[in-house]
Amino acid sequence: MAPAVALEPLRNAVLALAAAVILLALSLLIERSASALRSLRTSRREPILNRLLFQAIQSSPVDASDFRRLGRFDRKLVRSTLLGLALDLRGDSGDAIATLYRELGFLKKDLAKLTSWRPTRRANAAADLGLIHSAETMPALVRALQDSDVRVRQAAVWAVGQVGTPASLAGLVRLLGDRSLVVAHRAQEVLAERGREIADSILGYAESTSSRSGRLAAVELIGWLRITTGADLLLSGMRDLDPEIRVKSVKAAAAIGDPRFLETFHSRLEDVRWEVRCQAAKGLSLFGSPASVPRLAAALRDHHWWVRFYAATALAEIGPAGEEALSSALHDPEPSVQEMARYLLERGEAVLALP
Amino acid sequence: MIWPYVVAGLEWYGVFILLFFFAINSYYLVLTVAGFWRTLRVFKEVRRPDQRRLLRSPLTPPISVLAPAFNEEANVVDNVRSLLMLDYPLFEVILVNDGSNDGTLGRLVDAFGLRRSARSFERALPCKLIRGVYESPTYSNLLVVDKENGGKADALNAGLNLSLYPLFCAIDADSILEPDALLRLVRPFVDAPGVTIAAGGVVRVANGCDIHGGRVHNVRLPRRPLPLIQIVEYLRAFLFGRMGWSTGNSLLVISGAFGLFEKRAAVLAGGYAIDSVGEDMELVVRMHRYRRERRQPYRIGFVPDPICWTEVPVSLRVLRRQRTRWQRGLIDTLVRHRAMIGRPRYGSVGMIALPGFLMFEMLSPLVELSGYILLPVMWALGLLSPAGAWIFFVLAIMYMVLVSALAVLLEDIAFRRYPSVLDLGRLLIGAVLENFGYRQLTVWWRVRAFWEYLRGDLSWGAMERKGMGAA
Repeated sequence: MAPAVALEPLRNAVLALAAAVILLALSLLIERSASALRSLRTSRREPILNRLLFQAIQSSPVDASDFRRLGRFDRKLVRSTLLGLALDLRGDSGDAIATLYRELGFLKKDLAKLTSWRPTRRANAAADLGLIHSAETMPALVRALQDSDVRVRQAAVWAVGQVGTPASLAGLVRLLGDRSLVVAHRAQEVLAERGREIADSILGYAESTSSRSGRLAAVELIGWLRITTGADLLLSGMRDLDPEIRVKSVKAAAAIGDPRFLETFHSRLEDVRWEVRCQAAKGLSLFGSPASVPRLAAALRDHHWWVRFYAATALAEIGPAGEEALSSALHDPEPSVQEMARYLLERGEAVLALP
Repeated sequence: MIWPYVVAGLEWYGVFILLFFFAINSYYLVLTVAGFWRTLRVFKEVRRPDQRRLLRSPLTPPISVLAPAFNEEANVVDNVRSLLMLDYPLFEVILVNDGSNDGTLGRLVDAFGLRRSARSFERALPCKLIRGVYESPTYSNLLVVDKENGGKADALNAGLNLSLYPLFCAIDADSILEPDALLRLVRPFVDAPGVTIAAGGVVRVANGCDIHGGRVHNVRLPRRPLPLIQIVEYLRAFLFGRMGWSTGNSLLVISGAFGLFEKRAAVLAGGYAIDSVGEDMELVVRMHRYRRERRQPYRIGFVPDPICWTEVPVSLRVLRRQRTRWQRGLIDTLVRHRAMIGRPRYGSVGMIALPGFLMFEMLSPLVELSGYILLPVMWALGLLSPAGAWIFFVLAIMYMVLVSALAVLLEDIAFRRYPSVLDLGRLLIGAVLENFGYRQLTVWWRVRAFWEYLRGDLSWGAMERKGMGAA
């Protein structure tokens, strides 16, 4: 028996849908009108408030008296402008912005937001405090590094990187092994910029951590920051059983360029992993030692294209001895070796450093 | 004797179609809303200092931008210049001339002073014969590859072989990227390197916009109804639809016009399939499959703020070619990966996304067309009252208009790319107009695509472009 479709509910559905479409169009209109009103008000108030702001920032000491009786809308505008300025201004102006931000009570509010039950609020507060560069927020930001929410930890890492003293930056080092990759990478990024101040902490962490990802990140940092005291650690890392550790150690060692690495680099050209061989060849191009020529010439026959590429690049970098090896490779029976040698000889210049 | 059964069958089928219409529109509604929430969430997470941080971070990976070109002499120089001006710390542009028979290569050689190079490259993926590689003495990050014609997938594979960097961005040579598009698109790769293996960006319609010097200067709507309707369609299906799918790591399509991939992951999955016309979707599904079969953690995402502008067809003839090709690509991908459909092993991709695509993307034109035929038949046979037929028709259209209007509203809240209120009104008109003729035509073309697929048609069909900025 076929079902009988009642028309009444369908008719009601049509009416409901029509109402929903009209409602949507109305929402669009209301949303647009509200935003136009907001823009109008902003465009009227902004020049006045900006003038006051610049006067306050330039006065010494910073004078916030003109802002005391501002309404909610104006305070929002002032706050947003201050954060925008804080992004670009450092030094005395930056300090003046931080003072004004505190004087107007925004700092206190942000610190209170750091304990909000809403993670987005906590994360935004941490990021804003990072922009403001106020040292007094540091204890709260360091506490936020332990937050259970990834977004908050991520924002706090960035904020600590902006404001942090060496002591607080050291707190970031253990986050290199954070369970969240995003947080760990953000910590690594901050330390790549400011980690030189706490080189010993990074080195100590790389030696002692049981976190594999943390160790990898720390070894990478040793290379980026050229922490020469990490040479012994890298020498052992280049012989580690973990291929990832070997790759990162060779890469870091190439950046440091300690002559003790040369022999290890030569031996790594015969590593079972192509990534390690590749990094070793790349590292040898930075040393530019003629002693590496026979090993690199042999690496031109590697089965992996990237190893051949870096070996040929290294030979081109070494100078006449390397170029001679490349010229001989032009007569190699293997077409891939000939091709690579021809390319590098023709190019006659260094290839951009590649990851 | 048989008549009562026919009548009962028709009536049952009518109910099925009614339910199907309800289901497909609800599917779009849920996707649109989910996409909108996800967009707002992403916007909340992205803060002002982010772009600067990425510009100087040592963790920002270098990118190879791959742009296959076939007979693009009109715009190729402007578009390459625009690509070379992207804001990104380290990137290379690889333009692959896929056997063009116009002056594409010559224009490039003249404009950039290209010189033939003996560049060696890794033959990680098979591709047609590479006739020459050209480097520019002025732009060290520009490489032009001249190869025999093999189609877009083949050209992308050639570009991949020559690329040096760990990420590659596949784009159409005739598309325009916003200057910070790469910086925005790379965010998921920086946040979770090794885990994020692909990310799609937003493709928007450039018709009507004020374009010069390879940049979109003023966003405007086109005057003609055909591209206007496509804008609404792009908002609904490509912006919020894809954003919605990315919520559960189930995104199946990253547009060939703008997507960023981890090179190693793409090569391990086998690169682009040269025998598919839907190579962009096919690669993404294969990457899902590769990772899920090996139980490797991964993420394929969609980022709502990097923008790529592209020209959409302005004539029905070209639109027909495009839509039949898209449908053939969809059928081909779902047929190739049919073993994934409904299999818990493939998680949300196998259990939700692929069945969803099968039902609501691939088979829906067949159901919809049968509905268009059935409605007058049932009416003529007296099985449906004229009022019933009208109500059913209006209901289907209203629901579709609702979803499209919602997409327009959400676009306005999240992006506001069309600042004029008049433009918004026109978009809403487009949302209504879409249902009268346009939708029925695309349904018919998509049904025809089944026939073309069965005949083994792998052709792309030429996309006739007026030239951006000239339009």
